[in-house]
Amino acid sequence: MDESVIISNVFHHVAWGTTIAVYFWLVGASAGSFVVSSFGWVFGIKRYKPLALSASVTAIILLLLVPILLIWDLGKPLRFIYLILPSYWHATGPMSWGTVLIMTYPIAMIVYSYFVIKNNELWAKIIGILSIVLALSTHWYTGVVMELNPGRFLNHTALAPLLFLTGAFISGIGLLVLILWVRNMIVSAARRIEWSLIYEMAQYMMYGLVFDAFLLFLEFMQSIYGSQNEVMGHEEVLLGVFRFPYLWMEIVFGLIVPFVILVSPLKRTRFGVIVASILVAVGVYGMRIWWVMGGQYLQTFY
Amino acid sequence: MREARRSYGLQTPGTRGMPGAKRYGMVIDLRKCIGCNSCMVACKAEFGVPMGVWRTWVKAADKGTYPNTKRIFMPRMCNHCDYPVCVRNCPTQATYKHKDGFVLQRYNRCIGCRTCMVACPYNARHLIPAKRTGKNLPTQVVDKCTLCVHRVKKGLVPACVQACVGGARIFGDLNDPNSEVAQLAARETLMVLKPELGTSPSVSYIGGDWEIMDEPHSYTNRTARLREEFNTFKRNHDGDAFGDIVEGESTMAEVGKNFVGFLRSIPHKAKEVFDAYVNLYLR
Repeated sequence: MDESVIISNVFHHVAWGTTIAVYFWLVGASAGSFVVSSFGWVFGIKRYKPLALSASVTAIILLLLVPILLIWDLGKPLRFIYLILPSYWHATGPMSWGTVLIMTYPIAMIVYSYFVIKNNELWAKIIGILSIVLALSTHWYTGVVMELNPGRFLNHTALAPLLFLTGAFISGIGLLVLILWVRNMIVSAARRIEWSLIYEMAQYMMYGLVFDAFLLFLEFMQSIYGSQNEVMGHEEVLLGVFRFPYLWMEIVFGLIVPFVILVSPLKRTRFGVIVASILVAVGVYGMRIWWVMGGQYLQTFY
Repeated sequence: MREARRSYGLQTPGTRGMPGAKRYGMVIDLRKCIGCNSCMVACKAEFGVPMGVWRTWVKAADKGTYPNTKRIFMPRMCNHCDYPVCVRNCPTQATYKHKDGFVLQRYNRCIGCRTCMVACPYNARHLIPAKRTGKNLPTQVVDKCTLCVHRVKKGLVPACVQACVGGARIFGDLNDPNSEVAQLAARETLMVLKPELGTSPSVSYIGGDWEIMDEPHSYTNRTARLREEFNTFKRNHDGDAFGDIVEGESTMAEVGKNFVGFLRSIPHKAKEVFDAYVNLYLR
């Protein structure tokens, strides 16, 4: 059978681009940092208590950048207020849920940080639990906002929130390690975070990497045994146009290389842990790129 | 066949076959389409659609090898789905499903977040560019085909239907058994785009060729010129907030260039916001 060749068509843009990818990355890193922050005060692992404040402040700063990016990306930035007006709020839109989460999550974190500073065990734990639910929900929503589009077959997978949360966990730890490294260089010797603790965090990151690899493998299986759209999405878009962010940034330099570093003797060296952290943080950014743009890419020709 | 009801939010329940309810739709008879693009022109003229975006467009493909060749066309537009994904995903109730079958957009509520563009499986929505010739025309909000609701309510047919020289586009109430569309629907085999998504489109095709209606096929089987034009199209929009990866150049440089483009868009956007503020409050 002779195949037809498309000779004329109009072109369409990818509706969400780099801005949204950066936003997904920042909000993920924020959620991940906050999870680390809650180790000491919520889950009761005492040796993580000195980390809590640095981690939650990192999370708050990252999350304060987020609304700026989102409002920036709107066609009508001055109309962002419509998102929170009750007469405009649309309960079925995933973005409406996100608006509520993004507004409440930083407030909860600030209250939590206040109780951490005041050394109030009980309230830090109560608000900490609330904040961690909000942290996970905020990041869950970023997965869901692209997942609930049946037309975007690369994004339309129930694994989306899990992929996002795992990415958040590892990139959050990665970024936090870098921030603590810089902090340790600045502050006095007495207030430094011990490197043994940072090495331990890097091990948690390694477990996260294994889980992330597992999820990616599930996605891969689903794609290559899937419908024509899914197969095409994997072969032509992820391994074709988005080869660099998907294959190189995320899988090779974001998963395999840091994993090798973190299981080798380098895991007890500053150099190894810092390099692994940089690679993981950048690798998760690669995932955000193919996730946001890859799903929309194929359809721009339709 | 019993249909799953998927009405959320501002979607009215689908009115297919419901007695007493209207369901305006279009049947496009591709056997009669000659590819003159007059529907595109009529639509552009009717609404002053800016350059670079389309409410309706015509795809064309060459089929077969010489001497047994054929050129096939497929006009595309918003499908005015009975279960529109765009409507349920809008965060500000800017788009809604009218009970007579139109999916409509309210500019005054739209914030330009483009969630509906991401949700639409048919590319039917676009963001109006920031610069337009008229001062009071809407900018930077999402727009789409309205099925010419302003003409239909006066008893006229949509502009594209009126302009169609071959009579390929037929408009009417699909629920009215006496209408031409309903009779065609009863007599002919109709095809819709992406039926597997369960959107239940109101625009259907007669004599469609699957090779032009299929999404993966449209991606793989393009001429080299079309590929190059698409890359040029995207390069021309470098610096906008829309990040695109240019095909065939998927390298670190491309990812970096997109990020730089994002940074470079910041002053442009600041000026747009400032201008909008001046227009709103200080004019």
